[in-house]
Amino acid sequence: MINVYEQVSTNKTKSAVIISLFIGFVIAATWIITTILDLDPSLILFASLFSFASSVTSFYFGDRIVLSLNGARPANRQEFFDFYTATENLAMANRLPPPKIYVIDSPSPNAFATGRDPQHAVVCATTGLLQKLNRSQLEAVIAHELSHIANFDTRLMTLVSVLVGSLSILSDLLLRQRRYSSNDDRRHNSGPLMVVGLILLVLSPLIAQLIQLAISRRREFLADASAVKTTRQPASLIEALEIISTDSSKANFASPATAPLYITNPFRHQKLASLFSTHPPISERVAALKSML
Amino acid sequence: MIPLIVALVVVALYLVGFYNGLKTIQVQIAASIQEIGNQLKRQAELIPNLADSVKGYLKHEKSIFADLTAARKLIDQALTSKSPQSIDKAQTSLNKAIKSIQVVVESNPQIKGSEVVANLMNELRDTADKVMYSRRTFIDLSADFNVKITTVPGVWLAGLLGFKPEKGLATPATGEHLEVSASETTPPKISL
Repeated sequence: MINVYEQVSTNKTKSAVIISLFIGFVIAATWIITTILDLDPSLILFASLFSFASSVTSFYFGDRIVLSLNGARPANRQEFFDFYTATENLAMANRLPPPKIYVIDSPSPNAFATGRDPQHAVVCATTGLLQKLNRSQLEAVIAHELSHIANFDTRLMTLVSVLVGSLSILSDLLLRQRRYSSNDDRRHNSGPLMVVGLILLVLSPLIAQLIQLAISRRREFLADASAVKTTRQPASLIEALEIISTDSSKANFASPATAPLYITNPFRHQKLASLFSTHPPISERVAALKSML
Repeated sequence: MIPLIVALVVVALYLVGFYNGLKTIQVQIAASIQEIGNQLKRQAELIPNLADSVKGYLKHEKSIFADLTAARKLIDQALTSKSPQSIDKAQTSLNKAIKSIQVVVESNPQIKGSEVVANLMNELRDTADKVMYSRRTFIDLSADFNVKITTVPGVWLAGLLGFKPEKGLATPATGEHLEVSASETTPPKISL
């Protein structure tokens, strides 16, 4: 079992590796395509600029992007008393600066944390979660999210989801060109771009595999264990996980790219998504927690 | 010669690391004691205001307000002395006042339903949690510190560098709170 300090440094290293891989991947892909299709080599310069810019953006603004993609809004103390105060208390217990607190208006109970380091951290919960859990179950969930923050899991996971998100948006955009072009002339023009889109599409299982490697399922167990260390109440976390996982409300806020951020997979109702799931099954997590009772 | 120098440098670096590590925890422990005091002060200032908001319901409970005043005095003393033991004493006294407020509220179904009182109970729970978590930080830090200076190799060095174990919060090592009576081993039955 690795300890928290090793977890922090692995996460920092992996974040750096992900950025380098992303830049390398975009530049290499553009280089190959421009060589094969004999396009203007200045595209490579454009690709380098694009990949650098999106890396910097996802590092510094990843949290804001993720929040706005999920439609989150800041929570105040009056309206969400338990959420606000419990987060404040648990941050103190974990010796972390108090994170910013956001809510998503959705009946599907779920929560995530984001931010590049504990000084820029955000904890976000859906209103469904806040309604369906009692205070000690809520504390268990928040403690789980805070340990992701303390371990720097949030840096790595936010980076991965924003970068992968930008790739999937790019591939989607390029492929969509075909649908809108009807005559031969326009199809001819958008040809090279479509090839890029197709390449990205073919590569996406590979990218998914890469994310699997980066986001080891073990971090969820580690976060569960640290949550219990803070709250000393494994039973509350078990109850919370069971409530979250048996709830049937639809999660309309998350996208496949942001799914790894959540405490449980928002797409667990879909077969295909669970194939690429970055979360261990709830039953395994509950079993691990029951051994702590 | 060179291996000897390397070994000496390694030992010196280890010593520096060990010393700094312990000093860091000591500073954090001092800060965590202040944090407990800080939370208690917040609690002591908050509760009279909250109690005022439900004064109409509490007007026959003069003793609650007397208890609160006594507890605030103890907290002020604890904050100047900064010793964990006196902070602990102040908290016991404050808890007594909080408990009697809770008893009054719990025993009156008609005031339990009002929004002001619901808010009071939420705040009471939260402020108790804040004190509890600040105490836990102190307990955890003291435990970390004591583990470092009582295990090998720290135990050989701690004495040389003048580190003494942290006493932690004053909880008697023997007594009723450590004993479990037969009636406590059966799960509680609640009839509604």
